[in-house]
Amino acid sequence: MAGLKEYLIRRLITFIPTIIGVTIIVFLIANVIPADPARAWAGGERARPEVIERIRKMYHLDDPWYIQYIFVMKGILNYFINPNHEGALIDPLTSRYVFDDIFLRFPTTLQLAIFAEIFILSIGIPLGLISALKKDTLLDTFVRIFALIGVSLPIFWIGYIFIWIFFTNLGWTTLAGVPVPKCYETGTCPITTHVPLFDAIFAGEFDTLMQIIKRFWLPGFTLGLGYAGVLARIVRNSFLDALNSDFIEFAKAKGLPKRWIWKHALKNAMVPIITVIGLQFGGLLGGAYITETVFGLPGVGRYAVQAISNLDMPAVIGTTLLFSFLYVTVNLIVDITYSIIDPRVRY
Amino acid sequence: MIKGMKTLGLKRKILEVKDLHVHFYTYAGVVKAISGVSFEIYEGETFCLVGETGCGKSVTSRAITKLIESPGKIVKGQVLFYRDGSPIDLLKLSDEELRRIRGREIAYIFQDPTAALDPLYSVGYQIAETMVAHNTATWKEAFRRAVDILKSVLIPDPEKRVKNYPHELSGGMKQRVVIGISLSNKPKLLIADEPTTAVDVTIQAQILDLLRKLRQEEKMTLLLITHNMGVVAEMCDRVAVMYAGKIVEIGTVHQIFKNPQHPYTKGLLKAVPNPLIKIEKLESIPGTVPNLIFPPSGCRFHPRCPRKLDICDKKEPPLIEVEEGHKVACWLYVK
Repeated sequence: MAGLKEYLIRRLITFIPTIIGVTIIVFLIANVIPADPARAWAGGERARPEVIERIRKMYHLDDPWYIQYIFVMKGILNYFINPNHEGALIDPLTSRYVFDDIFLRFPTTLQLAIFAEIFILSIGIPLGLISALKKDTLLDTFVRIFALIGVSLPIFWIGYIFIWIFFTNLGWTTLAGVPVPKCYETGTCPITTHVPLFDAIFAGEFDTLMQIIKRFWLPGFTLGLGYAGVLARIVRNSFLDALNSDFIEFAKAKGLPKRWIWKHALKNAMVPIITVIGLQFGGLLGGAYITETVFGLPGVGRYAVQAISNLDMPAVIGTTLLFSFLYVTVNLIVDITYSIIDPRVRY
Repeated sequence: MIKGMKTLGLKRKILEVKDLHVHFYTYAGVVKAISGVSFEIYEGETFCLVGETGCGKSVTSRAITKLIESPGKIVKGQVLFYRDGSPIDLLKLSDEELRRIRGREIAYIFQDPTAALDPLYSVGYQIAETMVAHNTATWKEAFRRAVDILKSVLIPDPEKRVKNYPHELSGGMKQRVVIGISLSNKPKLLIADEPTTAVDVTIQAQILDLLRKLRQEEKMTLLLITHNMGVVAEMCDRVAVMYAGKIVEIGTVHQIFKNPQHPYTKGLLKAVPNPLIKIEKLESIPGTVPNLIFPPSGCRFHPRCPRKLDICDKKEPPLIEVEEGHKVACWLYVK
């Protein structure tokens, strides 16, 4: 662990080219779309020419792409550097700072991702382990079929089925609004993370917490089901691979108790499992457009799709930047976890 | 049997395998890997199982403590382990009772040390857990003893090495660690399954020397599995030659090398430089190892045998004694 600090710094520096690369690609793709964003922003066909002209100037739309790119990136950077967000990028449609819009929606996505992840881990891992330990039995077949079904069911279909069961018939969930802790209004929150779930826990508002759970468990479950199926299969296969290795046979020949043998196998199976969990969570943080739409959650996924259909390029670049940043961060955490598990991995 | 006891004098049996059958249930059919293997091992001796790859010597050694995984199954037989003179059938014991014997009274050394060690745990941990699993030491004590064990298997700088992970050690050192793990509970019987096959030629002699030295020091019995006749000549007291899941000849190392009876044993000895007899030219045995899903009828060696008789493909030859302690399964010697 001695070199961990240097490693982190080195990795953080490599973030910069990665993120710049991703945003440039998205920017170029957005630029070749044969549409006139200025006209769309100004109100479409009936927009007044002088308004369109002003927007063109403001967003450097008549300049070459790299000037536009630098303008957008500078605007994003200003948002984070300047305390009052001077010179920050403004969304042409909402007239608000782009990242104000994004951060308004991100907590919802984060909460959805957390609830989904809870279901993914609590369903995927146990099912995978049971399936591996009871290999080729009826139980294993059942789990594998369940995993396949989980992966195959389209969310827009199963989501509505679940709403019909759990909302219409059982009333176990709510479907409107996003609950926030009461301390937001009174300003008495002890710690403000802007994520209602965490703030409610820190403020000890358990009724709010219950409301959040009631609102988010079903979308989380719906979203997590498919991912849990994938994870269960990965857990099953990696655990079986590990159980079939020579050192497990040697461990048996050493006379180790069953649980100790499983511990050896499980630790060896961890690397592929963690990789998949990391990739899945990174994906979840990018928002889940269909789930958010079905359950009426105002998350980043929906925001990004709306931005694309509105030709709202600053918002598209902003969300892309956020997604790529989250993705590389999750990957970094996964890489650090590798080095904790496996002594052969060095940084 | 009585005759054998007499010649071996006061030697006491430690292990007796009787009519062992192991089958593997594969999609292609039932592989009869072991069919009616019987032998006994006496206290303090080095007993060798020799044969080609796939003849069932590893399966035999693993079946002794029921280390046969699905799709394999021990379908018939007895493995009598003599504990303080009285026999217990290992194949009848419960999983937990067997676990207590494995690694404690009967220990194994596997072929490939790189694969036998868990890459994620330090070698010290892997030695220590073998002791803790059998309650022969507490964790703290076990870690301290691990250093002594590494010293006893001649690993330099054991205080440092105990904290190393397997990938930080060379192949020879890893095999020493595996030997150390096996010896950590001072077993009565050590089963070494081709302990030198996966290590460098230059290390092989060192590993064999170490095994011989430790066997004398700890007064262990050694069951050595190998396909290397040189190793047999150097290490073994008695030898069983296996072919296609059966024992074809069994005797002392002297009897086997000086006076081989079975055509397969003779062929095997002609195929390698014989340390006891000078031979002009190395020969190979024509043909290939038979398919054990549909083994040849009668004597399993008859399709490759240069001295085949009419009866050979019809009836299985019995194992008969040709001289004291020397048995062979071949119709040539049935009178």
